[in-house]
Amino acid sequence: MSLDSWAEAEHEPATPSAPRVEPAAPASTAADGPPPSPAVHTVELAKRYRRTVALRSLSMTVARGEVFGFLGPNGAGKTTTVKLLLGLARPSGGEALVLGAPAGDVETRRRIGYLPELFRFQHWLTAREVLQLHARLLELARRDRRADEALALVGLADRADDKVATFSKGMQQRLGLAVALVGEPELVVLDEPTSALDPVGRHEVRAIVRRLRERGTTVFLNTHLLEEAEQVCDRVTVIDHGRAIATGTLDELLGARASVRLRVTGLPDGWWRAYGALGTWTAEGDWLRMAGAAAGAVPELVAQIVRTGGSVEAVVPEHQTLEDRFLELLGAR
Amino acid sequence: MSQTATIALLTMREALRRKLIAAFLGITIALVVLSAWGFDRLSHSRSLSSGEVAVSVPQALILFMFMFSFVVALSASTISSPAISAEIESGVLQSVATRPVRRAQILLGKWFGLAAVLAAYAAAVCALELVVVDVVSGFTPPDPAGAFGYLLAEGLVLLTVGLLLSTRLSALATGVVAVALFGAAWLAGVVGAIGADLHLASLREVDSVARYILPTDGLWHGVIYALEPRTILANAIGHATPFYASGPPSWAYLLWCAVWVVAALAVALLVFERREL
Repeated sequence: MSLDSWAEAEHEPATPSAPRVEPAAPASTAADGPPPSPAVHTVELAKRYRRTVALRSLSMTVARGEVFGFLGPNGAGKTTTVKLLLGLARPSGGEALVLGAPAGDVETRRRIGYLPELFRFQHWLTAREVLQLHARLLELARRDRRADEALALVGLADRADDKVATFSKGMQQRLGLAVALVGEPELVVLDEPTSALDPVGRHEVRAIVRRLRERGTTVFLNTHLLEEAEQVCDRVTVIDHGRAIATGTLDELLGARASVRLRVTGLPDGWWRAYGALGTWTAEGDWLRMAGAAAGAVPELVAQIVRTGGSVEAVVPEHQTLEDRFLELLGAR
Repeated sequence: MSQTATIALLTMREALRRKLIAAFLGITIALVVLSAWGFDRLSHSRSLSSGEVAVSVPQALILFMFMFSFVVALSASTISSPAISAEIESGVLQSVATRPVRRAQILLGKWFGLAAVLAAYAAAVCALELVVVDVVSGFTPPDPAGAFGYLLAEGLVLLTVGLLLSTRLSALATGVVAVALFGAAWLAGVVGAIGADLHLASLREVDSVARYILPTDGLWHGVIYALEPRTILANAIGHATPFYASGPPSWAYLLWCAVWVVAALAVALLVFERREL
């Protein structure tokens, strides 16, 4: 289904003459009616602040129901992208659809929760009042507001009646997360959601993100904490200098570059040279390291070694961390 | 409840919680007590004849009301100056602006909320001062409701100026510029009064033009007219001072004031709509 069809199915596009490009991966197909649009779809999205290019040309698709990691070094354009998706800033070029509507569409914002990087709330309100305010802005019925439930979820149940002014930074970030979850949004955009949290708080946020995924909520996680992305994200896009430099599932990004360490006896020295095509070999004392092995290559290698009379004493798969891959991607730029 | 009303109530709650109204009411009560003492001394002065007292009390009331008009102007600019820019800088506005709320609803909600706060304050000022003067000296101005209306209108003009400037400037810059504009408009009125006394058309024109550019002084003269006993008018007592009005603002002028406020709000909205958060 084309982008036009998605937009029309859910919302009249604001700029019908804007260029449209077929998105890469639709999320899922409903039993009846048109398949849902991607949660986020951008085509050559760009943002320029006078002479500064904040976002060069970003094309990406976030499927419904996935936890999507948006990674990049400081100044890569992550927060700019989030602001463009939410209508806080206007693009200089390209286009973006969020939940099938042009980015910034007022009615669509009803279905989006947002935790800003700069999380500040009315400090003269209590935590409960902040949540009630957002529930009123969403025009939720009183029974659907569930302020106490949201506060309990982020560990602020016992501080519900305290003024925000008395909260630590970490508590304000927890409150921001509760605010983002008001009204059970279809898309939750979290901009550096654990920047002010301690390890326990980070663990809790990851648990909340997993719970959102179980509920079918799409999570757009903007972070520079790679460990966080590695633990909760289904797919990630890495951006640098305002452009996506890699996109895929973690397996796609890391698995293709898997390496394995082997300890083999019973074969003459240099036996591994015969298998040079399988990967890049390095001798490390009694161990051999084969990097860049293709999927399925390792079992075949082990079988060959055994067939030629060798003994495989150890096979240790080595997974490249997201951090390694991230640095590799940035270094290659 | 519409989002405009939600923002308006939030704005009013902020003024109450941050003790802005309490602070302004506190200083107002202190000034009213001071004026009660002054009016008591004036109306029971043995060195003045009853005729002189009858002229002096209304003129002193107008002077006190000018002071209160300054407090109203100051409060209007103080409460409006942080309304937009400061909330953008602090990040508070971003979480509100990403809700299904139009920028126009945010701006109008803030205007209505601040206008309600200002109206409550102007009503309290007028009620306190006029009751005190009546009790102490027995003088009741000819049009107390008119005085309140013009005072509020003057405050609303300045409130709108503050909100407009706040869409671009910082809170501090907005406050300074708004108060400076109020002072400049009043000064233009003084120049006009001098021009009238000296029969200098060019000076009178300064006032005439300034009243249309920023209508605070024109509305202040409405307050004066509402407080002046008709004996003062009949004898043109104090006609060469900035505390004398020969007549009320015309309906055409009041219509201009309304158009001015709507136009300023429209410009504010245009600027706010274009501003990136």
